Amino acid sequence: MQFVKSFRFALVSTLLFTAHLVTADAKQIQLPPETAKLPESDLAGYKLATQKCTICHSVDYIQFQAPGMNQAQWTSEVAKMKHSYGAELSAAEIKSIGAYLAVVYGTAKATDSEVLMVSVVDMSAAEKAEAELDVQVLLDTNGCLGCHALDAKLLGPSFKAIAVKYKSDVQAQAMLARSIQQGGVGKWGQIPMPPIAGLSDKQAEALAAFIMAP
Amino acid sequence: MTDNKDTIVASRRRFIRNAGTLALTAPLISRAALDTGEGVTFAGGERPLVQFPEKRKLILVHSRPPHLETPFSVFNEGVITSNDAFYVRYHLANFPTLIDVEDYRLTVRGAVKNRLSLSLDELKAIAESVEVVAVNQCSGNSRGYSKPRVFGAQLSNGAMGNAKWTGVPLRAVLQKAGVVADAAQVYFNGLDKPVLPGTPDFRKALDIEHALSAEPLLAWAMNDEDLPFLNGYPLKLIVPGYFGTYWVKHLSDIVVLDHAFKGHDAYFMNKAYRVPDNDCMCVAPGTAADKTRPISTLPVRSFITSVTAGGHLPVARRVELKGIAFDSGSSIKTVDVSIDGGRTWKAATLGENLGRFSFREWTLATTFTQKGDAILMVRASNNNAEVQPLKADWNPGGYRRHAIESTAVTIF
Repeated sequence: MQFVKSFRFALVSTLLFTAHLVTADAKQIQLPPETAKLPESDLAGYKLATQKCTICHSVDYIQFQAPGMNQAQWTSEVAKMKHSYGAELSAAEIKSIGAYLAVVYGTAKATDSEVLMVSVVDMSAAEKAEAELDVQVLLDTNGCLGCHALDAKLLGPSFKAIAVKYKSDVQAQAMLARSIQQGGVGKWGQIPMPPIAGLSDKQAEALAAFIMAP
Repeated sequence: MTDNKDTIVASRRRFIRNAGTLALTAPLISRAALDTGEGVTFAGGERPLVQFPEKRKLILVHSRPPHLETPFSVFNEGVITSNDAFYVRYHLANFPTLIDVEDYRLTVRGAVKNRLSLSLDELKAIAESVEVVAVNQCSGNSRGYSKPRVFGAQLSNGAMGNAKWTGVPLRAVLQKAGVVADAAQVYFNGLDKPVLPGTPDFRKALDIEHALSAEPLLAWAMNDEDLPFLNGYPLKLIVPGYFGTYWVKHLSDIVVLDHAFKGHDAYFMNKAYRVPDNDCMCVAPGTAADKTRPISTLPVRSFITSVTAGGHLPVARRVELKGIAFDSGSSIKTVDVSIDGGRTWKAATLGENLGRFSFREWTLATTFTQKGDAILMVRASNNNAEVQPLKADWNPGGYRRHAIESTAVTIF
């Protein structure tokens, strides 16, 4: 039965999105790639949203909300992601992301003083973060462990699997640091890794070194 | 999104809202053949049709975690919703994409005398299998029509479906485990998990009396086939008459409690999926509820499926209008149809009865006597003396919409 079903889908759709037979009693699916992207903006909330929101859900989750929501409503919705769903967001980041989303999806304008007021990057926090290269803290605060574990495949590959795959590649550590900052898809399947854009180069290198360490 | 499109949709919706009280002076603009919003507007553009495993092209609500809506035209294909057209809704993105039933186990534990760990074959052998045809409707079905709008998936009317489910009664499994005398609730968990450690898991609870009643089912088959992966393969909790939020997918863990379900992972019972704790489960639009309770059973609801908003029907010829009605299990009593914006109503004929939890088809043959715009409306009542209200009420979650539907059409 499963084989018949599988065969039919192989005919009507592309092989990529097919449920297929692995063993006699297993079912495996491959999910289609995500395509939605957040609208680019100079507002500080754009980078933050790109990094933080997509850890748990795709951009279309935001894109297909109701139109006409104001800055207070969007900010309150972002706050819910921290208070109800455990997203790692500071109070300043919540306001900044809320302002950006209200500009690109709601009623706010990029020139509104309320938007500008909360869209400045908190330099003291950034400097503080720069000084902070504790790998455990970086893994926790950037949601890495939601998708990766040391030696088990979760949503993404295990750190050990990455180290094994690239162990003879001398460029691997630098490539990995870039991948962490910029995100990627395709190397380990079709579930994309979001860009962890808030990381400094040093932080990304520290994480890459940790992953590649024997 | 263009302003122009917004205006057209907004004006049509104003028209629908004022149906029966306002004469329309300009002809309606026909809807595009493919309108995946189905009258709902979105913050950032139109929703595409997408291809997911074992599914025909469905409307994208969001891709990770997967959430797909059934195009409304599907409901005119028959009262059973095809597996490949059935809507999909996940809450958490961390779920396996490979499930081997050789490794799969259902555990039953907690306040029970014998903890169970069952393979799918062992589960199937526990009791004679039973079948029920039942509607699974998302709590937020039709949320996109809330006024004022609320956050959450902006669904049109396609987050529902009706299927034949095959499984064993939940109570047979609970009886095998031996529920202790002071058991209070049972919670259900599936293989899907949160991405972040701080995100609550998706777990749902039923009161012990409900869990031990004849109705809830542990089902492995949907319309005589294995469950589609995205609808909960290999096992799904079926709670006939209850909203889809209780129908836990990839069911793997059943825990009997001697107290009410609480704590961080009770979020989807104790914080989300709640309605105002009053008779109408509603509040004044735009206000908060003082007290809430978990959403539970389906209110009586009906739709016209043979024609959609903006459709065209011929004048002076026999036209058969067709649709569906359903409730939480008391059974549909009457379906009335109006073709004049609610001024007069005619009783529709009910179709085959597939069971009290199923969609019930209705038909009405009618003849339109004049050209122009017409408002079709459909109103169902059930054996609990519930009748669909004319005006939609409101709650902060945009849940359980069930007002009389109005469909603006053109008679030519």
